[in-house]
Amino acid sequence: MKTRLLVVSLLALPVLASCAESGPPPRAEESGHGGQVWNEMEGEKLQALGAAGDAARGAITFEVCEGCHRNGGAGRVNGSYPRLAGQHAPVLIKQITDIRAGRRTNHKMVPFSGADVIGAQDIADIAAYLAAQPVTPDNGRGPGDDIERGGQLYARDCATCHGEFGKGAAARFYPRLSGQHYLYLLREARAIRNGERGNSNPEMVQAIKAYSDADLEAVSDFVSRLPPG
Amino acid sequence: MAVPLACAAPALAAPDPVETLATTVCQACHMSDGNSVVPQFPKLAGQQATYLEKQLADFLEGRRRNEVMEPFLSQVKARDIKELAAYYAAQVPGPGVVLDPELAEAGRRIYEDGNEGAGVPGCEACHQLQGEGNVRYPRLAGQHQAYTIQEMLDFRSGQRANDKGGLMRRISERLTDEEIRAVAEYIAGL
Repeated sequence: MKTRLLVVSLLALPVLASCAESGPPPRAEESGHGGQVWNEMEGEKLQALGAAGDAARGAITFEVCEGCHRNGGAGRVNGSYPRLAGQHAPVLIKQITDIRAGRRTNHKMVPFSGADVIGAQDIADIAAYLAAQPVTPDNGRGPGDDIERGGQLYARDCATCHGEFGKGAAARFYPRLSGQHYLYLLREARAIRNGERGNSNPEMVQAIKAYSDADLEAVSDFVSRLPPG
Repeated sequence: MAVPLACAAPALAAPDPVETLATTVCQACHMSDGNSVVPQFPKLAGQQATYLEKQLADFLEGRRRNEVMEPFLSQVKARDIKELAAYYAAQVPGPGVVLDPELAEAGRRIYEDGNEGAGVPGCEACHQLQGEGNVRYPRLAGQHQAYTIQEMLDFRSGQRANDKGGLMRRISERLTDEEIRAVAEYIAGL
């Protein structure tokens, strides 16, 4: 019953209404992080998902964020800050609310995502703004020396959720990977494999837990070369 | 029969009381044209009016404290704030002066890119590339090094705590003394 209510409430969220794919997010215990449920729908995450995001207002609120994430959320090629442009709104909302709730470990971001800086409506606005930003082909790429194997790994372990072209799935909170900077992909893949990210989808952890560093590099390199659009 | 007072009014309008406030009270430190010459006192010329309004209101209501400023505050009334802010916002800022170009260059990198390792955002995102600020964030361009440094240290210690969402307090905590000096040097030349 609880699951059915969750499905109904998710389908009613405006931000998700246009997505063809829908359904409840996976629910499973994440190992090593206090037993929290992945992507539990509660509190301000629900508020932000339910709010009608205003992209014009989001552009103004995002001003502060540009000090790190650069204009339009382009991120940095050296991977220190991710590209946010073109990311799905539900994914952005999930990550911001996870960081400020302490579910995702990111101490650099914490002071800028606090409730005294941005409210649930602001988060919805920022997400609407960023989701509408173009994904440009100038993202950082990997060294290019092991792409074929990276493609095989991607097809075997990643494409089911993130899609053949890395576009993710908004309704399931799976991030777009295409157009992301190689060094950021690699950094987060390592953190997820090592159990250091905090809010990883257990299925994602499972998919790459046996990966060597070379495997992570190969698959991140492949992903960084997917068509950005 | 006495002449009605209205008829006796001079052809020239009396000086605006708020302008008089600026040219008699504020000028002691900030100068009438807002281009303070004492490094401890901030330049106000060309400052964003919204920022000046907020700071004046914060001073009057105790959210920002400054022992040099306090004795003069009794002469500023809440009703004067908007006009006083507009007066200084309309003044023309003089050129800034860089004393140490090498330090300023180090400051430019922080101003434009921040410090990725420490999680310091680039200042330019809010304060704009040329430091002119906007309706939401103050102008920094051309400000005295000493004033910028003092404010950053006050944010870091919490002595100044009237920043939006504690953003400047958090950012200043992530900057070293040397980085603060550098970025203040760069701002002085904008």
